[in-house]
Amino acid sequence: MSINKYTNTQITHLNDNFTRIIKFSPYFLLFILIIPVLGGLVAVLLPALGWIPALNQYNLGLQGVTALWQTLGLGNMVLLSIVSGLLSTLLAFILCLMILAAFFNSYWLMRIQQILSPILVIPHAATAIAVGFLIAPSGMFARLISPDLTGWEIAPQGVLPHDPYGMSIILGLTLKELPFLLLMALGALAQPELGSKLRQQHKVALNFGYCAFTAFFKVILPSLYPLLRLPLLAVLAYGSSSVEIPLILGPNSPPTLAVAILHWFNDVDLTLRVKASAGALLQLTLILGLILFWWVGEKIVKFLCTDLLTNGRREYGGVYWQKLTYILTAMVVFFIVTALTGLVLWSVAGYWRFPATLPNSLTLLHWQSALSQIDEAVFNSLIIGVISTFFAITLTLLCLESEQLSGKALSNFSQFIIYLPLVVPSIAFLFGLVWLQQLLTTKVSYINVISTHFLFVLPYVFLSLATSYRRLDGRFAIVAASLGCKPSTVFFMVKLPQLFAPILIAIALGLAISFGQYLPTLLAGGGRINTITTEAITLANGASRRTSAVYALMQMVLPLVGFLLAWLLPKYIYKNASR
Amino acid sequence: MQPSLHIENLNLFRQNELLLKLNEHINGGEILTIMGPSGCGKSTLLNWITGLLTTNFTATGNIILNNQNLTDVPAHMRKIGVLYQDALLFSHLSVAGNIAFAMPKGNKKQRLEKIETALENLGLKGLADRHPDSLSGGQQSRVALLRLLLNEPKAILLDEPFSKLDSALRETTRHLVFEKIRDYKLPAILVTHDHNDAIAAGGKIINLS
Repeated sequence: MSINKYTNTQITHLNDNFTRIIKFSPYFLLFILIIPVLGGLVAVLLPALGWIPALNQYNLGLQGVTALWQTLGLGNMVLLSIVSGLLSTLLAFILCLMILAAFFNSYWLMRIQQILSPILVIPHAATAIAVGFLIAPSGMFARLISPDLTGWEIAPQGVLPHDPYGMSIILGLTLKELPFLLLMALGALAQPELGSKLRQQHKVALNFGYCAFTAFFKVILPSLYPLLRLPLLAVLAYGSSSVEIPLILGPNSPPTLAVAILHWFNDVDLTLRVKASAGALLQLTLILGLILFWWVGEKIVKFLCTDLLTNGRREYGGVYWQKLTYILTAMVVFFIVTALTGLVLWSVAGYWRFPATLPNSLTLLHWQSALSQIDEAVFNSLIIGVISTFFAITLTLLCLESEQLSGKALSNFSQFIIYLPLVVPSIAFLFGLVWLQQLLTTKVSYINVISTHFLFVLPYVFLSLATSYRRLDGRFAIVAASLGCKPSTVFFMVKLPQLFAPILIAIALGLAISFGQYLPTLLAGGGRINTITTEAITLANGASRRTSAVYALMQMVLPLVGFLLAWLLPKYIYKNASR
Repeated sequence: MQPSLHIENLNLFRQNELLLKLNEHINGGEILTIMGPSGCGKSTLLNWITGLLTTNFTATGNIILNNQNLTDVPAHMRKIGVLYQDALLFSHLSVAGNIAFAMPKGNKKQRLEKIETALENLGLKGLADRHPDSLSGGQQSRVALLRLLLNEPKAILLDEPFSKLDSALRETTRHLVFEKIRDYKLPAILVTHDHNDAIAAGGKIINLS
């Protein structure tokens, strides 16, 4: 990672407190990330092996594994996790490739990106609630085609959205993962050198008579795939271990493994925690297995397709694939738009008879009653989000400044550690972390929740800020220093104002990530701290659709307000400095 | 029938502002040279001929290759080959793979034999299985030329193809490319900054300003 060339010419600095803090910050960063993640993993391992100080059990053994093994339906749980994780990743990946291939070099790609990128900010829980409304027997789809096409006058019986095969989970995950993969691919293609080279090579292939679709698969994909591998594996790991979407869209008996682990862990019977720990280990093994499976599949596909690349065939029915992609893209967009519309309609619906496409009457009653109870959850979301984001931003800025002061980038090891909380599946290390936190203290759950949120906010904030910080022209700092500014003055009065806009974006992103956290809130808070997200998920399985819609919308509104502010404020403050 | 490329009454616009006008006829084996400062529309012209005009630009007029009007034919069916200033070899394929990619499909063994002979003729014997990034600049541009020729194009566009080569290499590569264009009797358009290129091409020179 190269940083600005001018920073190497930095003048020597005073050895004041500010400089000392800056230089110390990268070590602090490593410490604060490695301890909880690795500690959490170890603390999951030990109870699974029977070492549980809280229950006065110190005999190492395999009770946890045995208890897990005897669980009814364990095979189904594992299968459900594997199938939903694998199929949703595969579907999202194929759709992503088709969209890229059909719209490569077309301005439509930008449009699709603009439509899909807001989906990234929508929390998983809200997505799941919206998808549930869409596909339920009395959901928007059924309403749109009834009674004209179906003849249904009353809502039919149906298994959706809690179908035992996990189809609803797959749908929800795919819709959420597709924008992520697409934006990752577009991000890779936006790298100046690689992007322009690939676009030129695509042109060359067209000149050689390859249709656009074939050209993408034979020329672009082989070079693009290595850059997509990590995001894909992350999606695979997430898809097979997430709890939000299966909790709302998945079957209950048996649920996915991750959901089952969550239930055991939250059970009043503390001995079930042993089983939960063993389950977390199984989950970790399952993810490693899936990653291995994907890796082997990749090798096989590569082996089978090498000859196809150079066989000279130009067309594989590209026209039809192109048309199919248009239809699928339109369907995805239609899905998203209908789901959001449905959510808004439910939140203001009065009486809404089944086959009617629109509610008979509109009312603000649900909003009023929800808003009168929601203030505690909103307050909790805000306080947790603001504090964890504040610490994440501060530490990120200090570490990035230490890069500039020392003139060299953070080591690859440190960069990897920053992403550790995203790489290690949260369900595996969170339980252990919570045990550790409870060993230290049982009273201050706010601090536990905030520090756990911090782990998940930090990587995103760092990712979002690093590029702009490193791109900052180092000569400003030199000019300021030559005018007599101390390093701290340069940092606070020169650099931070110049980075005002990207810092605001990073803050908004950090808040959005924190608002959307479910598992960390639930576990670290011991179920006693309710946020918008935990409330939305609790309500999604029970309370009325209308209240649930209000909460899901609130989940989207909070981060949106953040991004809106981050976009508006720089237009009025420091408007000359921000670029 | 004499192969030919005809640019008929072309008016090229950026947004609504006229960028260039052109009406030219190029016979097989002839090279039309187009010179001019950057931004005068040279690469836009090539984009229009290959059918890859970007969204900011519009054009009126026709492109006729061997009496067939290509104006509305999609890019990948025009059979017009382009040589760029970068060799643009695919780094996920070997040298032979790059050439095979461009050849018409057919019997695998025959194609491989054809690649071997072609490589040998250009002094690239034994490089078939090498990775393109491991070749020297001159070798890369010869592979790119070979890839282009074995694609059996009906016309060739040269987009400053020699500008990244040093002067000695530049002359031999230029000679080779022009010789092949004459051998194959292909109509060609050369876009360049370099006067020596233009003179060596030996055809009509148009200066855009």
